Amino acid sequence: MNEQPLHDLDTLRARQPRFRGLESGHRACQGCGEALAARLTTEAAGPDVVVANATGCLEVFTTPWPQSAWRLPWIHSVFGNTAAVAAGMEAALKQQGRATQVLAFAGDGGTFDIGFQALSGMMERGHDVLFVCFDNEAYMNTGVQRSGSTPHAAMTTTSPPGELRMGKRHMKKDILSIIAAHHIPYAATASVAYPSDLRKKVRRAMDTEGASFLQIHSPCPLGWGHDGAKTIEVARLAVQTGLFPVIEMERGELIGTLPIREPRPVSDYLKLQNRFRHLFASEYRARKELEHLQAIANRNIERFELRGVGPETYDTEGADTVHRGGDRWA
Amino acid sequence: MALALEGSQALARTVALCRPQVVAAYPITPQTHIVEGIAKLVADGHLACEMVSVESEHSAASVALGAAAAGSRAYTASASQGILLMAEVLYDISGLRIPLVMTCANRALSGPLNIWNDQQDSMSMRDSGWIQLYCATNQEAVDTTVQAFRIAERCELPVMVCVDGFTLTHTLEPLELPTAEQVDGFLPVYSFRHGLDPADPRSLGTLVGPEHFSEVRHAHHQAMMRAQTEIEQADADWAAVVGRHCGGLVEARGDPEARLGILTLGSVLGTLEDAMDSDPELPRARFIKLRSFRPFPAEALRRACEGLDHLIVLERALSPGAGGIVGPEVQTALIEMEEPPRVHNYAAGLGGRDLSLDLYSRIVQAVFGAERPREFAIIDAEPDLLPESDR
Amino acid sequence: MIQIPPGAFARPGTSLEFKTGTWRAERPVHQRRAAPCHSACPAGEDAQAYLAKVEMGDMRGAWETVVAANPLPAITGRVCHHPCESACNRAHYDESITIHGVERFLGDEALRQGWSYPVPIPSADAPRMAVVGSGPAGLAAAYHLLRGGCRVTLIEAMPAAGGTVRTAIPHYRLPPDVLEQELDHMLALPGLDFRLRTQLGRDVSLEELRADHEAVFLGPGRRKGREGSADFAVPGNLRTGLQLLEAWVAGGTLPEQPRSVAIVGGGNTAVDLARVLRREGVEQVHLISHQRVPAPGVPADDAMRATYREVSQALEEGVTIHEHRGVRRLILRGERVVGMELVHMKKLEDADGRLRRVAFEGTETVLHVDQVIPAIGQDVDGSGFESLVRRGYMEVEPWWGTVDGQSGIFSGGDARSDHGTVSEAVGDGRRAAAAMLRYRAGKQLEPGAPPEPIPYSDLNLSYFETAPASKEPVLPPEQRLGLEEIEGGLQANAVRHEAHRCLSCGDCLACDNCWTLCPDQSVLKTREVAADGSHYVFDYDFCKGCGICAHECPTGYIRMIPE
Repeated sequence: MNEQPLHDLDTLRARQPRFRGLESGHRACQGCGEALAARLTTEAAGPDVVVANATGCLEVFTTPWPQSAWRLPWIHSVFGNTAAVAAGMEAALKQQGRATQVLAFAGDGGTFDIGFQALSGMMERGHDVLFVCFDNEAYMNTGVQRSGSTPHAAMTTTSPPGELRMGKRHMKKDILSIIAAHHIPYAATASVAYPSDLRKKVRRAMDTEGASFLQIHSPCPLGWGHDGAKTIEVARLAVQTGLFPVIEMERGELIGTLPIREPRPVSDYLKLQNRFRHLFASEYRARKELEHLQAIANRNIERFELRGVGPETYDTEGADTVHRGGDRWA
Repeated sequence: MALALEGSQALARTVALCRPQVVAAYPITPQTHIVEGIAKLVADGHLACEMVSVESEHSAASVALGAAAAGSRAYTASASQGILLMAEVLYDISGLRIPLVMTCANRALSGPLNIWNDQQDSMSMRDSGWIQLYCATNQEAVDTTVQAFRIAERCELPVMVCVDGFTLTHTLEPLELPTAEQVDGFLPVYSFRHGLDPADPRSLGTLVGPEHFSEVRHAHHQAMMRAQTEIEQADADWAAVVGRHCGGLVEARGDPEARLGILTLGSVLGTLEDAMDSDPELPRARFIKLRSFRPFPAEALRRACEGLDHLIVLERALSPGAGGIVGPEVQTALIEMEEPPRVHNYAAGLGGRDLSLDLYSRIVQAVFGAERPREFAIIDAEPDLLPESDR
Repeated sequence: MIQIPPGAFARPGTSLEFKTGTWRAERPVHQRRAAPCHSACPAGEDAQAYLAKVEMGDMRGAWETVVAANPLPAITGRVCHHPCESACNRAHYDESITIHGVERFLGDEALRQGWSYPVPIPSADAPRMAVVGSGPAGLAAAYHLLRGGCRVTLIEAMPAAGGTVRTAIPHYRLPPDVLEQELDHMLALPGLDFRLRTQLGRDVSLEELRADHEAVFLGPGRRKGREGSADFAVPGNLRTGLQLLEAWVAGGTLPEQPRSVAIVGGGNTAVDLARVLRREGVEQVHLISHQRVPAPGVPADDAMRATYREVSQALEEGVTIHEHRGVRRLILRGERVVGMELVHMKKLEDADGRLRRVAFEGTETVLHVDQVIPAIGQDVDGSGFESLVRRGYMEVEPWWGTVDGQSGIFSGGDARSDHGTVSEAVGDGRRAAAAMLRYRAGKQLEPGAPPEPIPYSDLNLSYFETAPASKEPVLPPEQRLGLEEIEGGLQANAVRHEAHRCLSCGDCLACDNCWTLCPDQSVLKTREVAADGSHYVFDYDFCKGCGICAHECPTGYIRMIPE
């Protein structure tokens, strides 16, 4: 162990058999789910793309001038206009007759909240843009404030638990249903815990003409209060409990799900995270909210038929089964 | 050949001659006729362009930003609240040094709601880092629009062409449109040095910390200052093509011997010129047409004001609680003259109030009459309509 | 000096100037750890390693990995009690890998294909070593000495090689053609001087062997059946279990045809004999043991020494087992045995913490049988080295097989009091050979122990799917009348299926997980194998030490260590 590698790392890095859209040296926290999601997305999408990126962690940790971690043309404008900037790029490229594809990146704030109007307009106009929402369920860049995507009962700095409150009072906005109502050709959710599925969806969205949308569940160790090493485990449990359904829609119709073979109790997911710590107090209101979240998970499972029917080779157990020799990237 | 065209239609056809590849706009009175005209030209196949009818001005500016960054000549138009909704994007466009052109069909700002002409909207974007050029006539609006694309692209700065709403946009005037050959000869194919390109993938809109931000701002300021040369050059070069010029940065007109100067921005100039011409009894004035408000042409302004005893700065906007917006800037610029004129600052014609021919006599009266108003005044306001306490 | 361009745009990939590796408090390292199957294998086979080769389609490489530890996989694949499978981490997940089936397949495939052992031809002046006894321990010792570049003199008192494997394992467990082929294959190795019918003490003395060789390995086995014990007196004309079993294996018949028999003992000899007696038509076969039937959950020191599989098959075949029972006395009618008095007993810790058998008064019962056969163990026949045998055993250092006070003499296999299986014998021979090579080189022998296995909790099971184990065909009990092999072995596709099921505990799967899941692009993939044996290199200039790679490594191959 710890032997000096035989390799010159610069050469090896240059020879990696995948496109490095997001290079090392970015300043994301240890175990950042968003950094991973962005890395996976750009690997699947690049290099013939242009990216518009909303304000947020991803923008900040990748581009502290004079450095940039991106290896694709990238622009950050302001917080709420990402979809519109992307639409403008798409219009320009179309007019220029170029095949370069357009991506828009935003966090949940830039998608569910401040960026929503521009997103809705972009989708309504049918721009050939893939809008990717890196959903970490709060305003992390500004210090973990609640957003429209923050789950019910989660603690944030603006939804603190206290004598009168048990974290966020409201529900997580069902963004995908709203997106689906735009009847865009392709909309899906994905999770960093299922990278093959994620990459496949990026490619599929890119192959789709017109607006497409991908919401990627991306744990934030700092904001959610979990060990950075457990980012994948937390994301996986969000899927396996039913709290984050991984689904695909075409023109607003459900066309695929990542079935859950054996749903896990939501407490398995929640107990790994500080933002839900207050739900494990031994008081009635804590138990009630815990049951409330379980009921939300149950409803998701029921609504999207996540238990699956028949022999599925593709489910949460097997979706990212590893095997000797890898080739996840083949 | 002179055509009788509504200002907005003339602008739409002029924009089309500049061959923008992306036009994004959100309708707002009095800008609507311009973008409707462009939309029709696109629909009829006269202009190969992506016409993006966005869901807000915020997005209109953003689409234009994205398009220009991705290598296309882009254009948008707005007014009033629309300009304010664009505000953060406008600052971003100029800060990223992205060239594009916008028409501002000048209109008052709410509230209360008022859809008519003044220049409070563009004045509110004074510090946005955009070049602002004000047009006195629809002919100037046409010629300035063509020049604006060249200025923007050479300076890597956005240009706002300010055209008074209704007064110009909805007014039929005889004017000449340039030919396609003239415009094509004047405007090179759009290029943007640091645009988005997979073959040379730059990152635009980085995070710049305290250690570099002042330098970025300095560069922006310097670029704006240098743009003065480009503005004058563009006007001169375009004049060589079409035989008309718009007055460069600032233009002195009227009676060159007059000791009284009147400085205006936009179309009010025509009203004042008509008024002076209509009554030989009235004192003569030199008219100072401030075409470029940003960059602010202090040096050119001093030259234009040489020999004046009084200078009236007549504005179509104000900064409540302070007074005029342009006036103090002019005063500051003129202090460096050996014998600077006395500067008088008034606002008039707010929210579309009719600028009648007697405006001229009222402002002259204000300066030379017995009851001189306070230093700044809305000269055509009627305080009698207000309760005692608000007069 | 850096110049700020218009709008402060940045160049691609310039973040590489910023070394985020300085943030790290812990670093990931690749650390191959022993799979439980490897730790548990008495012969020292690394099943995980050869399953990996099988999965990659390299059958010959897999066999070579097996024979790096054990030259006789066709034999052990059949007769071993496979503690590897009991230890297999996959047992916690669904079912163990059928490792013995893979081992057997590879052994058979090597014989079928004629693959040669990866053993060098020794030079003329190669060191000479002596090995006494060609049972599994002696064969393994000889083989590993040959692998180590020695010439080996192997002497065997009997007219054929194999020791207990030949004499005491019924053919239904180990068909004779497999035995002959694999022994012939191994004994044909160059540099091996194999002398049959050569008995130590009679044909050659230990001193002569020591004089002509650098070191000597003694693998005499235990061939002298015990005739009694402190528990009960055995009439002088009774035969021991080993004698009967050997007679049956050699000739296929038994001298007597009783109706009911009680065998006293819980080892493999007792169980094998019980099953042979059933095949020979004995209606009632009783097995009397101080211990219990071995089964998952039964502690090793309370389980019969016979293997679980053999005991289960014996039960299927109608053998009755009396657990936790001891013999108080034989009931004789004249000279003839008519039964025995049994008592319940158990091993308990006494006040000094030693295990002691305790008989419980008032639990006595009488069992009526025609014949009683003691199969309570055998002793070493110490002819020629009498002074080294104490209380019927060789006393040896458990890891290296050195014999106390005897420089250059090593031993192992059944001759040890604590070992009694073929695999243990192979392991003893292998380690003793290593010790002999070190001894010759004048090197110290450090204390040895099996590698610490990686626990189940260090694996990440999220990346595997449940899959049932491949089962080999087994003859139903009613068809097990003759010598036909009971277990049918695995076919090639089943072998590959098992290899695919292997969790690869503690070893790199090259699954790409670390490479795929690193948020910081700090795991780099290599085309060739990296210095540490994996296909990935950590770029510590950028690794922030988040630990995702270690946490998500399916096989526990990546560990975080403090900076």
